[in-house]
Amino acid sequence: MNGLMLVARREITTQVRTKGFVIGLLITALLVAAVSFAPKVLGGDDSYTLGTVNSQQLPLQAAAPDTTFEWRAFPDEGAATQAVLDGDVDAVLVNGSKVLTDGKIDDELGVLLQSVNREVKLGAAGVSIPPLQMQSVGADTRYESARAGIAVVLVLVLFMLIMGQVMMVAMGVVEEKGSRIVEILLSTVRPWQLLGGKILGLGTLGLINLVTILVVGLGSAMASGIATDFPPGIPGLVAAVLVWFVLGYAFFAALAAAFGSLVSRQEEVGSVLTPLTMLVMITYFVAFYATNDATGTLATVVSYIPPFSSMVMPVRMAATEVPLWQVGASMAAMVLAVLAVLAFGAKIYERAVLRTGARLKLGDVLRTK
Amino acid sequence: MLEINELRKRFAGGPGAPAAKIALDGISFAVRPGEMFGFVGANGAGKTTTMRIVMGVLQADSGSVTLRGAPLSPDDRRRFGYMPEERGLYQKMRVAEQIEYFGRLHGMSATAVTKATDDLLEQLGLTERKNDAVQALSLGNQQRVQLAVALVHDPELLILDEPFSGLDPIAVDALATVLQERCRGGVPVIFSSHQLELVERLCDSVGIVSAGRMVAEGAVADLRAAERNELRVVVRNPAPGWADGLPGTVTVDGDRHTLRATGGDDQEILRRAVKAGRVEHFGAEQPSLTEIFKEAVA
Repeated sequence: MNGLMLVARREITTQVRTKGFVIGLLITALLVAAVSFAPKVLGGDDSYTLGTVNSQQLPLQAAAPDTTFEWRAFPDEGAATQAVLDGDVDAVLVNGSKVLTDGKIDDELGVLLQSVNREVKLGAAGVSIPPLQMQSVGADTRYESARAGIAVVLVLVLFMLIMGQVMMVAMGVVEEKGSRIVEILLSTVRPWQLLGGKILGLGTLGLINLVTILVVGLGSAMASGIATDFPPGIPGLVAAVLVWFVLGYAFFAALAAAFGSLVSRQEEVGSVLTPLTMLVMITYFVAFYATNDATGTLATVVSYIPPFSSMVMPVRMAATEVPLWQVGASMAAMVLAVLAVLAFGAKIYERAVLRTGARLKLGDVLRTK
Repeated sequence: MLEINELRKRFAGGPGAPAAKIALDGISFAVRPGEMFGFVGANGAGKTTTMRIVMGVLQADSGSVTLRGAPLSPDDRRRFGYMPEERGLYQKMRVAEQIEYFGRLHGMSATAVTKATDDLLEQLGLTERKNDAVQALSLGNQQRVQLAVALVHDPELLILDEPFSGLDPIAVDALATVLQERCRGGVPVIFSSHQLELVERLCDSVGIVSAGRMVAEGAVADLRAAERNELRVVVRNPAPGWADGLPGTVTVDGDRHTLRATGGDDQEILRRAVKAGRVEHFGAEQPSLTEIFKEAVA
């Protein structure tokens, strides 16, 4: 096994064995599952319990096939009122002419009751009205809110994972520099192997996290039934998110290693990384803005500019249909940027990692050989 | 044979950094197979810089390091064992895992490294601590782990920067024994130290560095021979003026007269001393390494 893989393997085994990693992963999985079930629990009812007093049940099921209705009969208006107030039923139809509710009726249910009631009465009078044909001449907007929701969740996950793993890279670099292990390491492996192994190992851990989130998220969405609201193309989106995570992480991790190698103490990591954390935050904010306006000029333009593209393009892909060539072009630009940053980061790291002591200035490191 | 030829290294100064400093000013020496080479010099003389350059951790501005006549390659260096001056271990990693990790980095197979680690832990008396995190060990034991990290891959050459610093006398002996064993097995050992008696006791050859240059180098005995050997004669209660006409100076302490002389006919001096009184001491004074060192760096 070569140096790069050995270094990567050490990063993975050391981290996986810590309590923090295992607990973190469990908490993430639980949170994701909770989020996936939440709309089911909190969101609008997809089932109504209705009561009748001296009335026929209305054929609501035919008008709203996705909703389930349960009917109960009450002997008189008094019993029905009590059931409404107790919350046992959502609404009660009295004498086929009046609806009792606790407060204002649910909009959807109200419209449904009115229109079905009208139809039944008209049908009884021999009038039948063919339902209106609905036809969209614009984009398919059925999934707009689902898409926006997915985009918001995705960009948050990408942001948190990239930020977390990037911090780990910087702290690992400083651990090795501060304790001078790096001196023994560099007498056996080349700097790029050491740096590459660290980035690779911690990136793999990030991917494990991401895959867990995706699997648990999609799994619970299917289990809870909200997956039926998902737009088509989810597998493609998942694949793209994995690629974007790898690219975004590689970009920021190379910079984190370069900045981290400038200091020798863990306490200084935070301050030396400030420009980088700012950059990650800005990327996140731009991407978050794009979730609101995924088809706008800003989102479109920025989705080509590394490193912003690493979060903005996934948002666009989730929120709208993006032509494949656009995704390809954006990825190509990002790959080039990643390669450039890796080369730059490795250079800084190589020059700075053995110069222990006071914090080094980036400019000095670049000037001196 | 490891040869260090005319190494030069200058550290640039900069804003906020110390002024530019010449760390190595053309240092040269050679270490033969099975030789224990002691590297001595004042703080900042260039010992650590030299060792770092040999290990490839630093680049020299000019000069070369060759092994058996060929420039050192990264592969050569992977077969070296190195203990840097600043000790470094992963504090949270377990002892055995840490040693194995470095063994693997040196290119050992998984099975070979397990066996080598067990043997070393046994030899260094750390077997019971093998699954403890390094941070749970005493400093002395951490130093042993550090040594194990340098030895695990059965190195072809050992470079140890201040391996004895901070050790108690028993640990010093234990470490010295390990190094002598390796050395007898044909592995050249280069180590730096400020404990000159130790260097004198252990080393076949010594190199004295001052201001980035090798000011004296060779077997300890040769260095002594090169020094002017001083004759010291102690005579009890001699006749006054007994040493008139002899080279050297006489100091008087009560009835003890001590003559220190360099050069001159020692047999003639002895005859005169015997005639003058009771000779308590007659002999050439061997300078200690400390004296040679002080002389060399002065």
